[in-house]
Amino acid sequence: MAELTSNAPTAASGSRSRRLALPAGLALAGLALMLVAPEVLPTYLVNTLIRAFLYAAVAITVDILWGFTGILTFGQSAFFGFGAYAAALVFTHAGFGPGLALIAFGIAIVGAILLALLVGWFAFHPGASPLYGSVITLVLPIVVSQLLYSGGNFTGSSSGLSGFESFDLSLEAWFRIAGVFLIATTAGAWLFLRSDAGRILEAIRDNEQRCEYLGINVSRVKILLMMACGAIASCAGFLFACVQMVVAPEYAGFAFGTELLMWVALGGRGTLIGPLIGTLLLDTSTSYLSGSLPFLWKLLSGLAFVVVIVALPQGLLPALASVVRRAWRRDAPASAAPAAEVELQSADPRPLVGLASAGRLALSVEDVHKRFGSLQVLRGIDFAVRPNELLSLIGPNGAGKTTLMRCIADGAERSSGTVRLNDHDIRRSSPAACVALGAGRKFQNANVFDSLTVAQSMRVARTRLERPSLWRRDHALALPTAALEVMRATGLDRQLHVASRDLSHGMKQALELAMVLALEPSVLLLDEPTAGLTKAERTLIGRILLDLTHSHTLCVLLVEHDLDFVQEISTRIIVLHQGQIVLDGSVEEVVNSDLVREVYAGASAPGAHG
Amino acid sequence: MTLVLDMLTTAAILYGVAAGLLIVFGVMKIINFAHGAFLTVGGYAALLVTHLGWNPWWSLPVAFAIGAVCGAVVERLVMKPLYKRPLDAILATWGLAIVIGQCITLVFDRGVQFVQSPLTGAVDFLGTSYSSYRLLVIPLSLAVIALLGWMMNGSRLGLVTRAVIMNEDLARALGIHTGLVRLATFSLGAGLAGLAGALITPLSSVDPNMGVPWLVNAFMIVMVSGVSLVSLGIACLVLGSAQVLVSTWANPILGGLTIVVLAAVILRVRPEGFARG
Amino acid sequence: MRTSNRLFATMLAALVALLGTQFAAAQGKPPVIIGTAVGLSGANSVVAPSVVQATQLAIDEINAAGGILGRKVVLEVADDGSGAAGAQKAYDSLLFQKKVDAVISMETSAARNAALPIVTRARKPFIYTSFYEGRSCNRNMFINAWVPEQQVASVVDYFGSKLNTKSYFLVGSDYAFGRGMLEFTRKYILAKGQKVVGEEYLPMDGSDWTAIVSKLKASGADALISSTAGGAPNVTLTKQLRAAGVTIPFGNLAVDEGTAKSMGSDGKDVYTAGSYYTSIDTPRNKEFLAAMGKRFGAEMKTPNDLSVPQYEAVWAYKLAADKAGSLDTDKVLTALGEVSFNGPRGAIKMDKQHHAALNMYLGQVQADGSVKILETFEGVDPGAQCPNLK
Repeated sequence: MAELTSNAPTAASGSRSRRLALPAGLALAGLALMLVAPEVLPTYLVNTLIRAFLYAAVAITVDILWGFTGILTFGQSAFFGFGAYAAALVFTHAGFGPGLALIAFGIAIVGAILLALLVGWFAFHPGASPLYGSVITLVLPIVVSQLLYSGGNFTGSSSGLSGFESFDLSLEAWFRIAGVFLIATTAGAWLFLRSDAGRILEAIRDNEQRCEYLGINVSRVKILLMMACGAIASCAGFLFACVQMVVAPEYAGFAFGTELLMWVALGGRGTLIGPLIGTLLLDTSTSYLSGSLPFLWKLLSGLAFVVVIVALPQGLLPALASVVRRAWRRDAPASAAPAAEVELQSADPRPLVGLASAGRLALSVEDVHKRFGSLQVLRGIDFAVRPNELLSLIGPNGAGKTTLMRCIADGAERSSGTVRLNDHDIRRSSPAACVALGAGRKFQNANVFDSLTVAQSMRVARTRLERPSLWRRDHALALPTAALEVMRATGLDRQLHVASRDLSHGMKQALELAMVLALEPSVLLLDEPTAGLTKAERTLIGRILLDLTHSHTLCVLLVEHDLDFVQEISTRIIVLHQGQIVLDGSVEEVVNSDLVREVYAGASAPGAHG
Repeated sequence: MTLVLDMLTTAAILYGVAAGLLIVFGVMKIINFAHGAFLTVGGYAALLVTHLGWNPWWSLPVAFAIGAVCGAVVERLVMKPLYKRPLDAILATWGLAIVIGQCITLVFDRGVQFVQSPLTGAVDFLGTSYSSYRLLVIPLSLAVIALLGWMMNGSRLGLVTRAVIMNEDLARALGIHTGLVRLATFSLGAGLAGLAGALITPLSSVDPNMGVPWLVNAFMIVMVSGVSLVSLGIACLVLGSAQVLVSTWANPILGGLTIVVLAAVILRVRPEGFARG
Repeated sequence: MRTSNRLFATMLAALVALLGTQFAAAQGKPPVIIGTAVGLSGANSVVAPSVVQATQLAIDEINAAGGILGRKVVLEVADDGSGAAGAQKAYDSLLFQKKVDAVISMETSAARNAALPIVTRARKPFIYTSFYEGRSCNRNMFINAWVPEQQVASVVDYFGSKLNTKSYFLVGSDYAFGRGMLEFTRKYILAKGQKVVGEEYLPMDGSDWTAIVSKLKASGADALISSTAGGAPNVTLTKQLRAAGVTIPFGNLAVDEGTAKSMGSDGKDVYTAGSYYTSIDTPRNKEFLAAMGKRFGAEMKTPNDLSVPQYEAVWAYKLAADKAGSLDTDKVLTALGEVSFNGPRGAIKMDKQHHAALNMYLGQVQADGSVKILETFEGVDPGAQCPNLK
C-alpha cells in the first residue's frame, strides 16, 4: 500500500555518515595514541595501563549484560580467570610454542563459550527470576575459583601458576596489543549496541514479558549474549596471562567480579564509554594510591559506589557530564539524541503456509481447567473460533477472563485441557512458541518498551519474522498492512521518533496493538483494549478492529467491560462467570438474555452448569 | 560419631550466621550483602573484649549490641530508597560492606588477629572427645532459635512483624508503624550477625575480610529456605551435613563449594527450595 | 634604580646561586632505596610487623655507619597480601613506580613466584629471606633462609628416636610451600622406614580445619607434622587441634617464635626447627636483641626466624655493594655470593648455589610462647638447590 516516509533519503544518508564520523574518528585517535603513548609514558604507567585496558574490555562485557540488557552479573571475572588459566595451564604443563599458544587460545575461547552455555542454561531457564539469574552468576566465580584452589599442584592452588614461558614481546608491544584489543572490543560492542539487534537488548531490559509475547526467545538471546561476552572476557584473560606470566585464583573470583560491577556502576551503566573511562581511571588510580592511602582510597570508592547505586543510578561520570553540559549550555534544552531516520514500507503479506493454512478453526479451546492450589479459576472451558470472527469475552470481575487469555497465549498456564491454535496443539509451549503458532496477545495495561521509540519498538516487534541486523541500522522498516493501518489511523506514523514513555496513554495502547499486529498473528488476543481511552479513541479502535476481522484473515478474541463497545463490533459473545461459560451466542442473544443481567447485577450464580 | 558431631555443629553455626539474613529478607524482601560485614564487626567486638581483658563471655552480648547499633545506623541512612529495588539493594549493601570493612581496618589494622576462647579444651561426649566450644554452639544456636520463635509468635513486635511480612500496605493502613518495624528488624538482623561473628571467631581468627565466605554460604541457604525459620533449620542441617561429608570424604576445598552448588541446583529444580508449598 | 645598587643586587644573586649549587651538591647523591614486599594483610600479617622492624633496624644501623657507598638508605614497604595477586601489584609498584635499587623480602612462596618474573624484567637484585620449600632458582635471587634439606630431618629423627613415633599424619597449606615441604617430608619418613597415614591440605587463607582434624583423629597416627603458610594458619590449626583434644606429638615445620606467642597456651609442647630462636646464646644475638629493644621499646615484636634473616640480608646487601663498589646489578649479584655477614644467626654466606649453609636448632614451644632449644646442628648444608646457578 502507501509508502510512508518521514524524511527524504538523501538527508538520511548524509546524517548517517555524519553520525558515524565521530566514533570512527575517536577510534582512529585511540589507535594513534596506542602507537605513540608507550614511548612517552613512564614504565609503571604503561604496565598499569596494560592491565587496565584488559579490565576495561571485561567491564564492557559487564555493561553489555547489565547496563544494556538488565542482567546483573557477578560472573564475568570467572571467564576472565578461565582464559588466564587456560594459557597458564597449557604453558606450564605442555610448554610454549606457536602451536601450543594456538591450542591454549582455542581452549580459552571454546571453553568459555561452553561454560557460558552451562551457566546460561541454569541462570536463564524459562521461569527463572532475575534474582535467580544473578544468584547463578554469583555462584559461578566462587565455583571456578574454588575449583582452582582444589587443583593441587596442577593448578598451583593458592600459589597460582607463574614462571611459565610466554610470548617474547616488549612491554610497549603488549601495550599496543592490549590497547588495540580494547578499541576493537569497544568498537564491536558499539556497532552491535546501536544496531537493530541491539534494540532487542534494551527491549529485554525494559520489558521482558512483552518480548516473550512478541515471539522473542528471551532465554536464548541471553544465553547467546553470555556466550559472546564470556568469550571476550576469556580472551582478555588469555592476554593477561601472557603478559603478566602470573595467574592466581583471585582473578577468577567473586571480589574481582564485584569490582567490575563497581567500575561499571561508577562509570555509568548502559553508556559503554562510561565503564571504559571509569575502569581506566579507577584501576589506574588504585594502582597509584593503594600504596600510600590503602584504606582511605578503598573507603572512598566504596562510599561512591553506595551513593551511586542509591541516589545516582546513571553513574558518576554521566552525572558529572550532565552538570557540565548544563553549566556549559545554559540556554540549550536537553535534547533527545537524534534517532536514525526511518522509512516505513509495507511488507509483503506472508503466505499462509504451514500453520495458519492447516486449519479452518483459528482457535479451539477444549475442556480447559485452571487451578491455583485449591482455588478453581476456570472450569471446563469449551469453545472454538473461526477466522474473521470477532469474539468478545465478557463477565464480571474475577470471572477468569484474563486467566483464560493467559491460558491461550502460554502453554504452561492451564492445569488441564487442550488449546489448539490453527489446529496445532500448543501443549506446554512457552509464550514465544505460541506466537510462532499464531497467537498475538495485547495486555490490559499498555505494555510497551519505555525507552525505545515507536519505530524501534515496531522493529523489535518484527524480530521474529525479520531478523534484525547485528551491526547495521536499517532505515527501511517493513510492516504488514494491518499494523500500518493502525499506525496511520492513530497518528503513530507521525511520531516515529518519540520515546514510548512520552506517548499518551491512548497512543501507548495503539502502539502495543500495532506491535502485536506486526507479528502477523492469526489469533489476536486483546485484553481490555479500550481501557483508559477517550470516546474518540474508542470509536477509532472499534473501527480498526472491525476492519481487521473483515479484510485480514485473523480472528479477534476480545476481553471487554464496555458493553456498548462490545455490542457494536462483536460477531459473537461469550459470557464468563465464576470460571465457567454461562452463555455463548450472537450479540442479540446475549444482550437480551436475563441470565446476563443477573450475572452482572450480582444475583446468585446458576447452579450446576458444566 | 565425630562426623555426626561435625555435621551438627556445622549446621548450628550456619544457622546462627544465616538467621539474621533470613529475618531481613523475610520482612523487607531485600538481601543484605552487608551481613558479612556485620559478622566481621561482631568478630572485632570480640577482639575488643579480649584487648580490654574482660571475661570472654562478654563478647557475645557486646557483639550483638554493636552489631545492632551499626544495623540501625545503616538502615536509617541508606536502606530506605532500596526497598523497591532488590537487585540494587544487593549492590548497595555490598558497597556498604566495603565501607564498613575499611572503617574496621582503619581502627584495627589489616592483619589477622586472634581472640580468646571462652571455653577451651575438649570434653568426652558420647564416646569421642570433641571440642567443648564447638559443642556449645549447638545449644547456643538452639537458644537463638527459641528466642526468635518466641519473639515472632509470642510478642507484640513479632505479631506486628508477621503482619508486615504478609501485607505491608495493609499493615500500614491499620496504623502499624512499618518504618519502626523495618528499623527493628534490620537492627535485629545485624545484631544477630554480630553475635554469630563473635561466636565463630574463637574457632579461628579475625581479619577484615572474614565475613565474605560466610556471607555467600548464608545467602545461598537463605535463598533455599524461603521465609520460614523452620525451613532455615532444615536447610542448614541438610546443606551443612553435605559440606561436612564432602570435606571429609573428598577434600575440604570442594567441601566449601558444596553448599553453594547444592543450593543452586535445588533452586533450579524446586524454586521454593525447602519452604513449604 | 641606581647602577651601583643594581650591580650589588646582581652580585648578591650570583653569590646566592653559587652557594645554592654547592649546598645542593653537598646534599648530593640520591638515597639508596631498598624495597620490601611483605604480607601486611593475609596469612603473613601475623609476623609482618616483626619483619618490618628488623628491616628498619638494619637500615638505621647502616645509616648511622654512613649508609651504602656514602648514600643514605631509605626503606619502601609494600603489601603483597601474602599471595600472588597482591605480590604482582606490590612488585610493580616497588620496581617501576618507586624504582627501588634492590628488593629484600620475606614472603610466601606464592608471592615469591609471582614476583620473580617482575624482578627478572626489572633486573634488580632480590634477596629472599623466608624459609621455603627449596629449588627456586633465579639469577637475580639469593636466599639466606633454610630449605627442607636443612630442617625436616631434625624433627623426624627426633620423633622417631626420642618419641618412638611410627606413623605420621601430614597437614599443609595448599600451595608451593606446603606441598613442597610435605613432599620432602614424606620421602624422608618413608626412607626412614616409617609410615605416612594421611596427607591433607587447605588453601592458604583457609581457617576451618574441622574435617582435617577429624580425619587425623580417625587415622590413629602417632604424630602430626604440619607445614602451613607462616602466620595465621599455624594459629588456627593449633587452636582447633587443641580444642579437639589432640595431644599426639606435633611437629610444626613452619612456625616462628612470633607466631607461637600468638597461640597462647595452645602452642605449648609443639616441636619445631629453625635457624633462629631468641634463646640462642651468642654475644652477637644478645647484642642484636638489645639493639631491637632499644630501638623499638615496648613496641618491639619478638624477633623470629622470619624477621632476623631480613636484618641480615639488608646488611649483606650493604656489604655486597661495598665490595662491588657500585649498585650495578651484575656486580652486586656477584658480590652477594661472596660476602659473609656475622649476624644473630652467626656468619652467613650465600655461596651454596645462591643458598646458605646455616646453624639449625630443634626446639619445643613453651607455655609463654618462647622456644626452648633441644638440639643444635651447626653449618647444615642446603644441598644442591640450583645446580644451574654458579
